[in-house]
Amino acid sequence: MDWELVWDSVPAIWKGAKFTITLTAWSLLFGTAGALALALMRLSHVKALRWFAAGFGWLFRGIPLLILLFFAFFALPDLRVGPIDGVLLEPFQAAVLALSFWTAAYQAEVIRSGIIAVDPGQAEASEALGMTKAHYMRRIIIPQGIRIMVPPYIGNSMTLLKQTSLTTLVTVPEMTLLTQRLFSNDFQFRERIAALAILYLALTTVFIIAQQVMERAFRLKV
Amino acid sequence: MRDFDWSVVGRSGDLLMAGTRLTLGLFVGSLLLATVLGLILALMRLSPVAPFRWFAATYVWILRGIPVFVTLLFAFFVARDLPGLGWLTPIWAGVLGLGVDAAAYKAEIIRAGIMAVDPGQYEASEALGITKAHYMRRIIIPQSIRVMVPTYMSNSILLLKATSVAVGIGLVELTGITRQLSNSTFRPIELFTAAAIIYLTLTTVLVLLQEFLERRFALKT
Repeated sequence: MDWELVWDSVPAIWKGAKFTITLTAWSLLFGTAGALALALMRLSHVKALRWFAAGFGWLFRGIPLLILLFFAFFALPDLRVGPIDGVLLEPFQAAVLALSFWTAAYQAEVIRSGIIAVDPGQAEASEALGMTKAHYMRRIIIPQGIRIMVPPYIGNSMTLLKQTSLTTLVTVPEMTLLTQRLFSNDFQFRERIAALAILYLALTTVFIIAQQVMERAFRLKV
Repeated sequence: MRDFDWSVVGRSGDLLMAGTRLTLGLFVGSLLLATVLGLILALMRLSPVAPFRWFAATYVWILRGIPVFVTLLFAFFVARDLPGLGWLTPIWAGVLGLGVDAAAYKAEIIRAGIMAVDPGQYEASEALGITKAHYMRRIIIPQSIRVMVPTYMSNSILLLKATSVAVGIGLVELTGITRQLSNSTFRPIELFTAAAIIYLTLTTVLVLLQEFLERRFALKT
């Protein structure tokens, strides 16, 4: 292993981190909003909403992310249903779309189980005090559920960051694509891939540290 | 306005099935490798020998910290040059990359399962003069399987879906063949929908298997 070449590869590959990080951030933003909506639908009194959210979870957790990515990139331009007449997305947009749906499906489970884990006595007490459901969900239940959600939420977010490597296959120039460009020019597979692995490891280790910090921040003070 | 032409799925049936077979082959091969490696790593992690524990902890940290795609690239482009791995064909590289990656997750699942067994079971085994190798195999691991089933199975479902990443090293499994067919027939919607249905069927079968196993291994009281 030529370690000098490994370190020389790092800056060139790091240029792709811009996409790795922004893809993660946007998908996390849209995906979490979607996940919150899905989790609340799953816990709703309205049967149709519960079914929709359960069906969404089954569908998007049952299909590989790569199929979602290919669908967003290759199939949406052909989609002509009613007013929709072919949606041609840039690779980055297609990637954010697919990753957001994927994130929403997985984080919805995290949020739902966090909400369920809060003692039902809290909801009953809120109702006894005359609070509306929307009010006590927002002020009483969700803040307490967050403590339970933090570890799996960050775990999923770390998986999301790793999954952005698949957007290489829909030509987003993130770290993995830049690495492939490098080694297809000089055939220095071992060093280039090692540099890529080190960068991913550095980024995911940040998540592990963030998880520990957040778990401490949300710990019950007794 | 363009109409759907679902007949393309029927005409591609043989190729889609061939792709599905490779997907299942990759899945079974990498699941076996991951389970064996995962068990070894879990036992190393729980070993009294510090270097074993460090090795297993580092393995898990690295393999869980890098994307499976990167592991596959390594297995495809680099592993062949390692001593003793010259025979590695692309398909075996796929099995190796997927298996080595999944092993890190399986190791954590197996470790958690073993740790969930009541320590009184160890003490009782030792009091009866059973050797560690013997009681791990006959007493502890059988009991820990019950705890592992749900996490082991849901992780295996993730592995089944992860086999699609093998398209990134040129394997024409289900996702790869679907992409090729979609490029040649210009029917991406129909073909990717068909692939999605096949994947959903396979993952749903695994979910049902999980429920069956959970019932099968449930404590009879």
